[in-house]
Amino acid sequence: MADQNMRFLVVDDFSTMRRIVRNLLKELGFTNVDEAEDGQVALHKLKNGQFEFVVTDWNMPNMTGIELLKAIRADAQLKHLPVLMVTAEAKKENIIEAATAGASGYVVKPFTAATLDEKLKKIFANMGK
Amino acid sequence: MSDFAGMEDLLQDFLTESSELLSEVDNKLVELEKRPDDRALLNDIFRGFHTIKGGAGFLNVDAMVSLCHRTENLFDKLRNGELQLTPEIMDEILMATGAVRDMFGAMAQSRLPAPVDPSLLERLDNVLEGKELHATSAAAATPAPSVATPASQASSPQPNGEEHNWQQLYDVLLDQVPSTSASSEPQVIESTATVIETKPATPVAQVADPMLSLKPAAAVPATTAQRAQSNAASQQLSTQETTIRIDTVRLDQVLNLSGEIGLTKNRLTTLRSDIMSGKMDTGTLKALDEAIGQLDLLVGDLQNAVMKTRMQPIGRLFQKYPRLARDLARQMGKDVELIISGEETELDKTMLEDLNDPLVHLVRNAVDHGIETTEERIAAGKPAKAVVELSATQVGDHIRIEITDDGRGMRPDVIRRKAIEKGLIDIETANSLDDKQSLQLIFLPGFSTKDQISSVSGRGVGMDVVKTNIQKLNGRVDIQSIVGDGSRFTISLPLTLAILPVLVVKVCDQPFAVPLAMVREIITIRQEQVQEVSGRATIVVRDEILSVRSLANLIGWEEVQVPQFGVLMQSAEHSFILAVDSFIGRDDVVIKPLQHIRPKGIAGATLSGDGSIVLVLDMEDLLASTHADHSAIKTSRFAQDLV
Repeated sequence: MADQNMRFLVVDDFSTMRRIVRNLLKELGFTNVDEAEDGQVALHKLKNGQFEFVVTDWNMPNMTGIELLKAIRADAQLKHLPVLMVTAEAKKENIIEAATAGASGYVVKPFTAATLDEKLKKIFANMGK
Repeated sequence: MSDFAGMEDLLQDFLTESSELLSEVDNKLVELEKRPDDRALLNDIFRGFHTIKGGAGFLNVDAMVSLCHRTENLFDKLRNGELQLTPEIMDEILMATGAVRDMFGAMAQSRLPAPVDPSLLERLDNVLEGKELHATSAAAATPAPSVATPASQASSPQPNGEEHNWQQLYDVLLDQVPSTSASSEPQVIESTATVIETKPATPVAQVADPMLSLKPAAAVPATTAQRAQSNAASQQLSTQETTIRIDTVRLDQVLNLSGEIGLTKNRLTTLRSDIMSGKMDTGTLKALDEAIGQLDLLVGDLQNAVMKTRMQPIGRLFQKYPRLARDLARQMGKDVELIISGEETELDKTMLEDLNDPLVHLVRNAVDHGIETTEERIAAGKPAKAVVELSATQVGDHIRIEITDDGRGMRPDVIRRKAIEKGLIDIETANSLDDKQSLQLIFLPGFSTKDQISSVSGRGVGMDVVKTNIQKLNGRVDIQSIVGDGSRFTISLPLTLAILPVLVVKVCDQPFAVPLAMVREIITIRQEQVQEVSGRATIVVRDEILSVRSLANLIGWEEVQVPQFGVLMQSAEHSFILAVDSFIGRDDVVIKPLQHIRPKGIAGATLSGDGSIVLVLDMEDLLASTHADHSAIKTSRFAQDLV
């Protein structure tokens, strides 16, 4: 089981959506959550904080989720961070793009706490190996 | 019963944020008409619909999801150059944003919105199908159930199987991840990518079709739908927001100041015990003086800081109007551009909400009545494209909002004649009015300069409402107009309603507070200055003849002494001198409304420094209540009082 104190960064330009994800994480027992409103802010926070998990939206101004993902994977310090893409972009090419860029998981909006739990568990299991 | 039980907080957040987003989208659509190929705009609009759809999905608002899904796809095609924007497509998009706004209205009342007009969905689908339809993103009508095994997925009769197919596909892929790779991530990624690519996309496309034709294509008469829309829209306007978003910096300021006040209170408590125990030396008293002085400053700062938390940029209102002006202009066959400036000007939140109706009316009025038809403009040698400017600026402790059009202007003589024809004023009154006063006639209830009642600007109920609403906010409206050149409506408002600067006057030994905003100057009244003009007491101040009104008489009291001072008051339509016994001074007060009683001309009460109650006068109300009875302020009576 994952550490309940695990530090999450939720990235979305829509604050309602950040709150939704935050609430769902809380339902799953993860309360150590910070937020960022786009990829740029997220990257800045990631570089300065001890985050252990990134949940990011895809479509954002300034820096998109996929750009953030690529930046994380390109950063020596951050590249091992698990990144879960939360988005409505369920297109084939998007999934390929996310996977190619190194997304640890992909969850399509809207989703329930149970779905999120499942995704997280898969990622944790993967990380454990 | 709420359709959003357990999600009220979320709903509030969503509505606040999405409404702003939708207004932005609306404005960008108006922009887009000018620059249809602007990719940044197309992207922004796409993202707007996308974001609203995402939020709506979590709230289970199927109707909104399916509508935004279509518009989102439409903009995806537009930005990819697969579709070209035409006026017809634009109309459908604007219909769609209207429908989304209506749904917000329903949701604001905790109702799940009704399904979208099927003909609109059908039309959007037709637009989308103009090109080949390939697998697009998910119209998630219901929240995805927790993803289980492929078997259970296959058996679930979800109409939007498309999404689940992908989810399922991805899950299959992810399931392979732990099993196929234990160590290196890049390897996982490569295998994932390959598997996806080898999967054919055809099943998805097959599912997509039935999904899109889910809604029955029942023909709803367009007019009915539109009427329903406008009803819903007006309903939405009347519901006031109960939440507010505050910059954390401002909130921190409040916190800081209240902390400081706490410290000062501690200091005072210590001083009190000192003084109570008889320690009253100069040092203690000086410390007391300092502490109270500091408290004074801090409380002032705190009031300011709290007031600032209620301040919102007026742009939140303004952003709704370009679309409004555009729709109206189009409907009337006019070419009008609404130019907005000063969006960052801040105003008290409650005032902002109450300003919406008057502003909507003034903008409509400018487009409808102010601006000529294109033919008339060309004939008059004006550019065909008309400009309406809406601006906001802070001038001292007031906010000034101006609505300026370059239309036909207003003719005072025509307005006077109309007012007489409609029996709103008599000829004698009309003749006594100057041009500026004549323009103010349009604010009279029942006044409408158009013989032909327009469906747009209403039927002469409106301008009077504009004025009453602005007055309720302690503001005033002025009109300037040049025939042939256009008109300008200027609204002046106090920054906030929370704290009111007043002048405290005394009549019959009782203090009264008068809004300082109306006070122009204070004069002494000498009996020989009082002249009788058409039966009314007047004083000439710098060549201006002003009527004198005794406050005691206005509130229905007998005067106990001859008024010594006159306060030169200026309200929206007239200036006059308020005769009072004496002054106490100026003060910043917080008005407390009176409960259960509402005396004429009293806005509320406040506490003075010595703890006594001071009634705050509502001058407009006070004047209105005595307006009918002019004889009450006849010179003879006033002269009697003076003697």
